[in-house]
Amino acid sequence: MNLSGILVMAKPESQDRVVAALNALEGVEVHQVDDGRIVAVQEAPDIHAEIEGVKRIKALPHVIMAEMVYHYLAEDEHVYEAMPPELEVGPASDSHETCAVPAYLND
Amino acid sequence: MGLSRRDFLKNSVAAATAATVGMPLSEQAEAAVRAGEKDWQWDKGVCRFCGTGCGIMIATKDNRIVATKGDPDAPVNRGLNCIKGYFNGKINYGKDRLTQPLLRMTDGKFDKKGKFTPVSWEHALDIMEEKMRWAMKEKGPHGISIFGSGQYTIHEGYAAVKLMKAGFRSNNLDPNARHCMASAVVGFMQTFGIDEPQNNYDDIEYTDTAVLWGANMAEMHPILWSRITNRRLTHDKMRVVNLTTFGNMSSDIADLEIIMAPSADLAIQNFIAREIVKRDAIDHDFVKQHTVFATGPYDIGYGFRPKNVEKYASAAEMEIYKNEKSHVIDKYEAIAQRKKEGEVVEQKNVATAMKDWAISFEDFKIALEPYTLDFVAEIARGDADEPMDQFKAKLQQLADYYCEQGRKIMSFWTMGFNQHQRGSWVNEQAYMIHLLTGRQAAPGNGAFSLTGQPSACGTAREVGTFAHRLPADMVVMNPKHRAHAEEIWHLPAKTINPQMGSHFVKIMRDLEDGQVLFSWTQVNNPWQNTANVNHWIKAAREMNNFIVVADAYPGVSCKVADLILPAAMINEKWGAYGNAERRTQVWRQQVLPPGQARGDLWMMLELSKRFKLKEVWGEQPLPGLKAEGFPDGKLPSVLDEAVKMGYTPETTLYEVLFATPENKKYKWPDNAVARGHGNHICDLLKDGWFPEKALFEEYRKFGMGHGHDLAPFDVYHDDHVRGLKWPVVLKEGKWTETPWRNNEKYDPYVARGSGFDFYGNNGNSLVMGDLDKMGDPAGKVDISHKAKIYFRPYASPVEKPDANYDLWLATGRVLEHWHSGTMTRRVPELHRAVPEAVCWIHQKDADARGLKRNDLVWVESRRGKVKVRVETGGRNRAPRGLVYVPWFDEGVLINKVTLDTTCPLSKQTDYKKCAVKIYKA
Repeated sequence: MNLSGILVMAKPESQDRVVAALNALEGVEVHQVDDGRIVAVQEAPDIHAEIEGVKRIKALPHVIMAEMVYHYLAEDEHVYEAMPPELEVGPASDSHETCAVPAYLND
Repeated sequence: MGLSRRDFLKNSVAAATAATVGMPLSEQAEAAVRAGEKDWQWDKGVCRFCGTGCGIMIATKDNRIVATKGDPDAPVNRGLNCIKGYFNGKINYGKDRLTQPLLRMTDGKFDKKGKFTPVSWEHALDIMEEKMRWAMKEKGPHGISIFGSGQYTIHEGYAAVKLMKAGFRSNNLDPNARHCMASAVVGFMQTFGIDEPQNNYDDIEYTDTAVLWGANMAEMHPILWSRITNRRLTHDKMRVVNLTTFGNMSSDIADLEIIMAPSADLAIQNFIAREIVKRDAIDHDFVKQHTVFATGPYDIGYGFRPKNVEKYASAAEMEIYKNEKSHVIDKYEAIAQRKKEGEVVEQKNVATAMKDWAISFEDFKIALEPYTLDFVAEIARGDADEPMDQFKAKLQQLADYYCEQGRKIMSFWTMGFNQHQRGSWVNEQAYMIHLLTGRQAAPGNGAFSLTGQPSACGTAREVGTFAHRLPADMVVMNPKHRAHAEEIWHLPAKTINPQMGSHFVKIMRDLEDGQVLFSWTQVNNPWQNTANVNHWIKAAREMNNFIVVADAYPGVSCKVADLILPAAMINEKWGAYGNAERRTQVWRQQVLPPGQARGDLWMMLELSKRFKLKEVWGEQPLPGLKAEGFPDGKLPSVLDEAVKMGYTPETTLYEVLFATPENKKYKWPDNAVARGHGNHICDLLKDGWFPEKALFEEYRKFGMGHGHDLAPFDVYHDDHVRGLKWPVVLKEGKWTETPWRNNEKYDPYVARGSGFDFYGNNGNSLVMGDLDKMGDPAGKVDISHKAKIYFRPYASPVEKPDANYDLWLATGRVLEHWHSGTMTRRVPELHRAVPEAVCWIHQKDADARGLKRNDLVWVESRRGKVKVRVETGGRNRAPRGLVYVPWFDEGVLINKVTLDTTCPLSKQTDYKKCAVKIYKA
């Protein structure tokens, strides 16, 4: 899954039409709008679809510019859900007075 | 949160995007936030992460931080936060927070090979005291050391300087800021005679051009980047240039992306200067009135171990280390340095790399002459797939910007310049370009060194937690500076040690060769952040020494330690930071530290109670000491003098340095400032004084009256103050900051009628010389009120890819993680956003090695190897021949691979270029 934060610029008078057009695109959600500046988040299966998706937005009527501002990549869900071994700890003790010695330290 | 992970991610992406372009948070997001805020106490604070210094608001409830948000009244960030900033409040609450001291023990006794076992603070301090005494008895004051930090609070850094330099008479205190800002410091000190930028962040809204020289601001300074992108979108003339060794997020909004070869910045800046001269785009009045031309030696080595390196290095390492003695000039250096290809140059100025002298403008022009477009483009093209004509056109366009009359330009840089084998030179070249065109210290015009850490400026540099420094830009090697510090600190003359201590990398080398026997780490992670770390891990574990690490979480440094001290984190203590635009900002303790975790300041104060003057101020061995007024090889006893000043041999360092009669006048509780907030350090000390306030007021004395002035402690704590940019002077009853230094309109220290005044060099002079050498010492040029324009040549990287190690490796950060990841990796949202370091590589380089995205590979150099997944897409676009691996992930300890070369002037490590090979794991 590739998420991109895309800044779309439109003239304020055509802002509403652009927002509607964006929301109609598959995988695109408009999150914020401010005076012709529109923040859209696009979900795409891979980098190629992501780039094609931005081209598709640039081609919409009344769009002055559309640029990817923020990328987020998460292809392998299991990798992203797991905590790395060095951060794994036993159950947190309720009392902070005694501290479990993290196993990591004594490996 | 009731959100699915996907929704959460989308919201985060939207928020990050909005922040990047300077849009406020949506109404919906704001409303959701407000609903949950009943019973919360809000107070102002500062972000814990980068050097930008964003103001944050912190909410607490029942001794817990429940929320943080961007402070709308903060002039730096105006209510915005980057993704790390949003999670400031969560960093304190990782499950494996260290909450009591841990000592390696076997059968109830300290054992270097033992297992970590919980001990009391009393026990921990007992063994520290014992091991410090042992180290000082064996090796003198330089047998002990502290690895300090650019994340120290100002109070902590000041206490560390005073404890080490005035108490233990040891200059072996050096911060991780050595890895981060030291080249910037040398650039400022050599050029202007005073540290830190003249300009400030508001320049972004005045300028027409932002040129990034090795600063991926989109990821590393996102809030400043949001101001730049906003300027780009709202000011027609605004142009953004991104010079980098690989395509990155800052390229997305750049008008010009220049992918350059490692170290080519040295050549490109000389090309620009040559164009400025050739096209006569010089501001002649400015140059004549305010500058002097200068240069220095080229044969300065590469910052390797200067002696006996064979004893510690492998044969493979020696292939590179041998350059410290002599270096063979390559075809580019031959032209750039006016030498012959293949010439062997003995490195005679390794110890005198800082030497400089004045030259004529004619000589300056001669030196620039080889840096033609054709020559520089050949050195500098970093992407072999880019057509040469296109690359040349880009360099030409960049020069056009700098030559264009009336165009305002800000040049920004961070680690691309600073972590550089010629980092001090490349900093000085930026000033060269800006001074030649009169574009410095004015709104919208300046060469601006951004900082990496939240108090690299405020603490490491201003307080002076370096091996050579004292507060307010003073140095231990200067007898007048020592005398001034001894006077403020009420010390006998000659208490302060005149011999420079060991810089960060040298402390590691000293541990390896047994010169340092005791090391104390505060607020950083040296065994993850230091290059070529296999050596230093071995030194810590296998030599007979004692390693103390104070930290909040168990990281690599804790793992190699003998004693771990649980440290209080930000907002669990009072503090102050200083950001990259000279802005000093403060916060109160918001919550108590968990368990027995305690502030580093308390640890130092408590330890100081255990040492008496008779133990540390008597005669001390100091091998190699040669200084005027001191006996060779030792520090004299100052005990007799101390008695005359009213101390006794039994007086403790705590009483002499910290709980002085003057400091004890600052009482705790101090309700006017604290307003209900606690202070766990006062509660533990139980002697009624307010150390943070007292130490800040004492520290102020160093800067007052000569350009480093700070306001009183209470002023910064005023509700209406969001930090102040020094010098802060009293004007018509109001403490007033200085937005632009050295500029008559804004800086009270500038001589009236001068326009600009680089007063940091007042009283300094240079000997006149030519391009190759210093001339007759009698021919001195007074450089008072002037800045230096240096000629510095191109020099090739000391280790370059070859047939075996065939790729460049650059390392750095990612947006989501801070430094070694000990804090940000414990915030689930940030951890999940970027769970592990990857190796960004060009698709063709991957194909050539039979690698697919996500394959596990070894990245191997002459020094070590690590296993990592390859990434061919995503936010970084490596050109063929270069890979990028971030360093936050201790599971991918990339500093096992990197090369411990430093700028010979600044001693700052170059983490941006070494040679590696990559193969399937």
